[in-house]
Amino acid sequence: MNRWAFVIAAYAVALLATLALIVWSYAAMRRAEREAEALRGRE
Amino acid sequence: MHVFANPARFLKIARPLTPWLGWGGGVLVAFALFMGLFVAPPDYLQGDSVRIIYLHVPAAWLGMAGWAGIAVASLMQIVWRHPLAAVAARAIAVPGAVFTFICLATGSLWGRPTWGTYWQWDGRMTSMLVLLFLYVGYIALGEADRERGGEGRITAIFGLVGAINLPVIHYSVLWWRTLHQGQSIGLTGSTIAAPMLWPLLVSALGFSLLFGAIVLMRMRAMLARQKVEARLRRAAA
Amino acid sequence: MKRKNQRLILLILAAVAVLAATLLAIWGLRDRASYFYAPGDLAGKPLPVDQAVRIGGMVKKGSVRHGKDGLTVDFVVRDETPSTIRVRFRKILPDLFQEDSGVVAEGRFQPDGLFVADEILAKHDENYMPPQLDAGKHEHKTGPVR
Repeated sequence: MNRWAFVIAAYAVALLATLALIVWSYAAMRRAEREAEALRGRE
Repeated sequence: MHVFANPARFLKIARPLTPWLGWGGGVLVAFALFMGLFVAPPDYLQGDSVRIIYLHVPAAWLGMAGWAGIAVASLMQIVWRHPLAAVAARAIAVPGAVFTFICLATGSLWGRPTWGTYWQWDGRMTSMLVLLFLYVGYIALGEADRERGGEGRITAIFGLVGAINLPVIHYSVLWWRTLHQGQSIGLTGSTIAAPMLWPLLVSALGFSLLFGAIVLMRMRAMLARQKVEARLRRAAA
Repeated sequence: MKRKNQRLILLILAAVAVLAATLLAIWGLRDRASYFYAPGDLAGKPLPVDQAVRIGGMVKKGSVRHGKDGLTVDFVVRDETPSTIRVRFRKILPDLFQEDSGVVAEGRFQPDGLFVADEILAKHDENYMPPQLDAGKHEHKTGPVR
């Protein structure tokens, strides 16, 4: 059972890092594309 | 590649492709990790620690493939002045660094129950840590250059020179005696038993698709920001 | 010549220079960057006594002897050459330590050639398989030491 502790820790680190990266990239993209869209509307 | 030279044409393909890569990769990764955690057999020596491989190997692959991508994009930027290449190279840097970090962290968590140590300065581990530092340097250099309004030429040269570390990582286990084991998967076959190998390959494919989706999202964000900046500059003039 | 081709040629020249420099560095590091010495490396040119080094190789089959104190372990490290190293260790061994499997030991040579280890690491090889496949294949790990 001791080895499972290392397995669980590894999965937690990897999945959290991947998820954070995806959420951050997606939020930045939505914000930037919305700003570009809003600017086009004003012209 | 010149088809994508035009950002408008690139966006036409990138917009519908992003969700396909993202969801496709997510489903494959979820399936592969479920198989890896609960269905694949334990190893005859390592026991359940072997399950970390389903994260470690895809992360190592993407950390190295990411820098290979940066090098190719940098070459296209320097030689052909390809307008999208600089955007692509900078979009790869952060996910590449994150996966290199995941590779090091999961490797460390595997090393403790297997070798009996979290970290040793052998050729493979040291060269992989160097790759992480190269990513950090590349990101910092790119940001500094952009703030000063540069074209990113220095960053591109750094991206090309840094690629020399890739063969060093790959061959470190052959050139030097290392604690890290030799290569398991080659062009001619693998020394990983089939019930462990195929979840590993599915996981690598899934993470690769996710990586692609992340790079596309970051490229789209950069292109949109560039558009906004150009408009504001025009409005101010 | 077109500017594009000029840039390409310049870049190729630079790449060749960087590659050559790196190859030279790797060649120079060949011995020092190795993580451990194998028994064959030390044949005829022993290391200075009492210098902290790492040695590694395969645990020779049938060589592991547990001392009466329940802690001291003696074993022999071999590689593909005829040379061997006698090793003594007085702490708890890693789980994966076993005969005919890879091992790396950190410690010092004694004047009589015995290597006293402070730390033992199990070295895993590149084979991954489920336990049931292992039954008839336990003799496979006799390749060169890496």
